[in-house]
Amino acid sequence: MSAANEKRIHGYTAEFSTVPSLLAACRRVRDAGYTQTDAYTPFPVHGIDEALGIRPTVLPWIALAGGLTGTITAFTMEIWMNGINYPYIISGKPFVSLPAFVPVGFELTILLASFGAFFGMLALNKLPRFSNPLFAHPRFDAATDDKFFLFIGADDARYNEEGVRRLLADLGSEAIDPVVEDDSSDQVPRWLINIGLTVALLSVIPLLFVARMRVTTSSSPRFHVFHDMDYTPSKQTQRLTTIFADGRTMRPDVPGTVSRAQGAYDPDFYTGIDMAALALLDPDRAERLVRFGMQPPQEEAPPAEPAPAAAAEPPSEPPAAEPPAAETPATETAATETPAAEAAAQPAVPPAPVDNTPWLKKNPLTLDEATLRRGQAQFNIYCAVCHGQDGGGNGLVNVRAQQNVVDNKWVPPSNISEPTFAAAVYPDGKLFATISQGKGKMAGYAAQMKPEDRWAVVAYVRAIQLSRNAAEGDVPAAELEKLQAAP
Amino acid sequence: MSEHTMKTPDDPTLRLPQAVAKRAVPLMATGAVLLVAGILLGTATPGGMKFAMGAYLTAFIYVLTIALGALFFVLIQHLCRAGWSVTVRRVAELFMSTLPMLGLLFIPVLGTLFFGQGTLYKWDDPQWIQDHHPEWATNSKGFYLQDWFFTLRALIYFGIWSFLARYYFQTSRRQDETAELRLTEKMQALSGPGVILFALSLSFAAFDWLMSMEPAWFSTMFGVYIFAGGILSALSGMLVTIFLLQRGGTIRDEVTVEHFHDFGKLIFGFITFWTYIAFSQYLLIWYANIPEETFWFKYRQENGWTAISLLLPICHWLLPFIGTMSRHVRRRPALMCFWACWILVVHFIDIYWIVMPTVTHEMEIGLLGGISGVLVSLLCTLGMIGLFIGGVLRSGESAPWIPVRDPRLHESLAFHNL
Repeated sequence: MSAANEKRIHGYTAEFSTVPSLLAACRRVRDAGYTQTDAYTPFPVHGIDEALGIRPTVLPWIALAGGLTGTITAFTMEIWMNGINYPYIISGKPFVSLPAFVPVGFELTILLASFGAFFGMLALNKLPRFSNPLFAHPRFDAATDDKFFLFIGADDARYNEEGVRRLLADLGSEAIDPVVEDDSSDQVPRWLINIGLTVALLSVIPLLFVARMRVTTSSSPRFHVFHDMDYTPSKQTQRLTTIFADGRTMRPDVPGTVSRAQGAYDPDFYTGIDMAALALLDPDRAERLVRFGMQPPQEEAPPAEPAPAAAAEPPSEPPAAEPPAAETPATETAATETPAAEAAAQPAVPPAPVDNTPWLKKNPLTLDEATLRRGQAQFNIYCAVCHGQDGGGNGLVNVRAQQNVVDNKWVPPSNISEPTFAAAVYPDGKLFATISQGKGKMAGYAAQMKPEDRWAVVAYVRAIQLSRNAAEGDVPAAELEKLQAAP
Repeated sequence: MSEHTMKTPDDPTLRLPQAVAKRAVPLMATGAVLLVAGILLGTATPGGMKFAMGAYLTAFIYVLTIALGALFFVLIQHLCRAGWSVTVRRVAELFMSTLPMLGLLFIPVLGTLFFGQGTLYKWDDPQWIQDHHPEWATNSKGFYLQDWFFTLRALIYFGIWSFLARYYFQTSRRQDETAELRLTEKMQALSGPGVILFALSLSFAAFDWLMSMEPAWFSTMFGVYIFAGGILSALSGMLVTIFLLQRGGTIRDEVTVEHFHDFGKLIFGFITFWTYIAFSQYLLIWYANIPEETFWFKYRQENGWTAISLLLPICHWLLPFIGTMSRHVRRRPALMCFWACWILVVHFIDIYWIVMPTVTHEMEIGLLGGISGVLVSLLCTLGMIGLFIGGVLRSGESAPWIPVRDPRLHESLAFHNL
């Protein structure tokens, strides 16, 4: 004991062989007023907290605080991100849409509550800790085997070496041992600090590189980590190739290709243009349309636009001067779309050229109720979202856009009942072509609707125009009477 | 952890007081009378037979989910070889012993198929199918929703439940007398297949009896939703029963604050589970926003149902969730008894909210069907609860309320939360 006497005492342990003797000893020590006590047992012992006088832990409050922090953080973050900082419509839901935010709120609540419980437990137990003076106790290993230890710390307010020894002896303990303070240096070794500092300094270097690159420019090409994702073997559009004599990667249709159609191919029906008449006016274009089953180009866009702003190409570029590559529908549409969009943004464009395309004046379908019903169904599916079910231009898309588009860049859909769309100035064939290819911001619907359905929609649009512009005299007398009689 | 002497199954302290036990048959008779009165009154009200049967189905499902929750509790205790729950298991066994009786009480619901057209179930009306879903005449949905097939499935469900309930109750009772270890092993062996059968039958019963009221609507989570409410209410019902039994002296120090604490934890957990399932079901439908799914919730957001729809998350989740969160509450049996009663009330509201909007949607009789409607619901519910409690008391008349010879009884008596 002489060696131990020279060192400071950390506390005393008393050793027991049974749970009841340990519990009895704990109660005695608790009643004697000691608070810096602990018990070490090979398995959990019921009632030991109470026997030692350990007060209920505050851990649940830490977990609760963590959980609430998670809830509040999640909802604040989501409301800020999607509702305020970057308002973005997702799935047609409102920007601040609580049901959608709940899953993230739930997860973050669980996560931070678990963190609170786990790290709170570590902190309350003063862990992690690399050493404990008890580890130096020669018999302490038995606490993981078959012995029970009661410990009284020297930092207890009531601690008094002689008193503690006497109390423990009185408890029927089998062995009472002093635990000496671990007096090895608690200084971190110098070499460890040096290594840590060096690593910390080195780790800043990549950050400095990043910071420098953010404020400078470079003329060298990008560094490609995944080469095959940047350079694919397949050719991209509008590129050159050595495989074909003409050097184009985009191949035109083989001459004589016939469009996919049921039965005989009727170019009038698929383009809305009277081909016989067009052949007299512009034989080249007529031939091209017939041979490739093409859509009529959009640059022949109408003068009969609601506003000059929405007119198509400027007159400086005559319709005849088509780009030579314009033999495929894709390029033709692409070539015309951009100027049209630009024109929409510049109100001061001179009037568009006269549209001399011989559009079909008459709908080729048999106009009966079935056709109109079909047209109504298709109109309500594809057109009504923008133009509205009454064609007035106030569909759901427009309603939402008016609420949410903040920069006044929204061009509202046309009111199809306006006089500019009347059959006299906007023939059926032209309406068909507009539905097929789109106009301005409106996309073409040739891919979605069969030609028959597009013609049916044309018929239904005429019906809407008739109904919206009807006068009282248009109503049959009998019907009028019925209406007037109704309350 | 007081020292405990083993009681025998005949020990009078484990029996119901005579004053309570002799009420079993009168309670059941009163319940039956109230039920009949409720239906008769219902036929005379503006809601008619449809409303009366809706109220009947609500009350029936309410009691059934509690009995099924108790069956699940028993199965899961055997499956986990649980020690803590032995002293409270008999109450669950008595709850589930009413399942054969509930099978008889399902007959009026079947009766609506054979003596009415579309009284409760729209698909039972050929005209309705013709008008709304003519394709069902030839497809598998039409085959599934047929009177005879529906009846056959109901027979299978009640067959499974009655078998499990009787088997576990009788085996447990036999162990009271013989103290055979083998019986516990047999019960454990059956609990695995039993839980699988239970899960499937409960899920399909929920589809058949509740979801098919709106036959075009579907939610694969629906069975779990009904289960979540059922197990929560069964735990609450058991807690209230044990609290009262302890007051009456039938159960004494066999059940301690530790058992109440465990009930509290389970109730707290299943409150969260119910909310998780209920919200998951809502979120998916809300997000996808497909008309064929959303209309079910739409019916519950109009004609005054909005208030109930909002009441559920607040009263079925938020308040009891906060209320039972603390360990200090869970260790106070009287407080937990309050929250258990609370849950039993909101579970009824939940079932009412599932069944009645579908019934009253096309009627113009308001949220609760007026004063007469409330009276009909009240009579049916009280009648059904009377039958249930009477049935439990009748099974418990001659039985000790603790499985006194269970091999794990000591473990349960010494149970201690860390």
